[in-house]
Amino acid sequence: MKQSNSFNWFLLVLQRDLIMAFRKSATYLTPLIFFLVVITFFPLALGPQQSLLSALAPGVIWISALLASLLAVEGIFSEDQRDGTLDQYFLSNEPAFLLVFAKVLCHWLVCGAPILLASIFGSMILYLPDGVLIPLLFSLFMGTFFMSLLGALGAALSLGKSAILSAVIVLPFSIPTLLMGTAIMASAINGQDYSGYLSIMGAMLAIGIPGLCILTVEAILLSYE
Amino acid sequence: MNKLWSSFKSWLIAMGSPPLFYRWASAFLPWLGVLAIITFMLGLFWGLGFAPTDYKQGDVYRIIFIHVPSAILGQSIYLMMAVFGFISMVWRAKIAGMLLIAAAPIGAGFTLIALVTGSIWGKPTWGTWWVWDARLTSTLILFFLYMTIIALHSSIENKTKADRTISILAVLGITIVPIIKKSVDWWQTLHQPSTFSLTSAPSMTPDMYQPLLLCVLGFYLIFIFMLTNGLRAEIISRERHKNWVKKQFLNKEIG
Repeated sequence: MKQSNSFNWFLLVLQRDLIMAFRKSATYLTPLIFFLVVITFFPLALGPQQSLLSALAPGVIWISALLASLLAVEGIFSEDQRDGTLDQYFLSNEPAFLLVFAKVLCHWLVCGAPILLASIFGSMILYLPDGVLIPLLFSLFMGTFFMSLLGALGAALSLGKSAILSAVIVLPFSIPTLLMGTAIMASAINGQDYSGYLSIMGAMLAIGIPGLCILTVEAILLSYE
Repeated sequence: MNKLWSSFKSWLIAMGSPPLFYRWASAFLPWLGVLAIITFMLGLFWGLGFAPTDYKQGDVYRIIFIHVPSAILGQSIYLMMAVFGFISMVWRAKIAGMLLIAAAPIGAGFTLIALVTGSIWGKPTWGTWWVWDARLTSTLILFFLYMTIIALHSSIENKTKADRTISILAVLGITIVPIIKKSVDWWQTLHQPSTFSLTSAPSMTPDMYQPLLLCVLGFYLIFIFMLTNGLRAEIISRERHKNWVKKQFLNKEIG
């Protein structure tokens, strides 16, 4: 009985956050615009040769997606902290772990999912080689979700500090994800089996969801001391 | 056995109290400093002056006596920080948190020395300042981790809170360092054939190995010396309003 109550609570938090996010178009448009503009920058800076762009495409899309999904990270907790909602969440009996996960999921739905869709467009304008769109989407799905998790930790660690700090402190920690993602793309382009790397990335995500959520809860609790 | 353990535990807890640690450290620090300098100098003179010249690299290889110890230190200091971070997170020991931030700049310094001496060594032997080798890359990332920890700590006013905050990053970092190491290996083998193998160390003669070992030991002693000194400064600056600090320094000045 208790479990289902907590789950309902989780859904309510998620629903509230989603409504709040979609009322302000800046929340979901800013990362999307950032992603598309950065992707457009590369052909402008490097020249329009198709062979060059197509070789760089996976890396460019990956880096742009990682940076774009860190863009709105600061707002994950700071809005709620400012108006006292976060205090009420933590005063309630519901598990804080679920709250953090709802926030992460909301951030991914608002920020990561549009980027994922936009990366299809990005892969077209950067001449991504044929047949690797599916691995790109799979790896980007996990990669952006991992970034949302890391971003939530960064936001919690720098609660009440500058917005850029929360993004910067988690950047070095995103390197394994980036490396895994590029490994998936490289083996897909070479026509090799990439399912091994995909599984490792999934395993990282599976450990990361509980692990990073717990650390995030710990970090938020610290800010109340 | 149980009794021994409990007495050890109470000693550990007592050592964790800042005043006691301060007094103990002040007594032991000069001796440690002298020992560290002697060991380091001995190793360095032996290595630079008396170790045989390498038949392939000539005298260039002698930078190893700085490069290898600082690289070892850079990594082991991070490991130590993660351990203390865990202690500070779980048991909230004050001293553990202070150790963490006292160690971070030293670790960053050693990592930077390792990177710089490595690229100075790389120029004549490999012909380039930098290669995207697994070891080099993970050392560079380690340096970034140190920098983020230092930056985050300085952004938080309340120092005790800052310690606990960076302890979270230190713990996260230690789970990520092996992953980085492993994934860089995969990434590198995928993208480029490894031109230089740093991982398989050339078998050394004892004449070269012994001074190197002495240098590593000397670097460790210097690190412990610097860490204890930094910790003393940290303790004094944080507890400057406490009675024992006033007593300690006033007594000294009068007496």
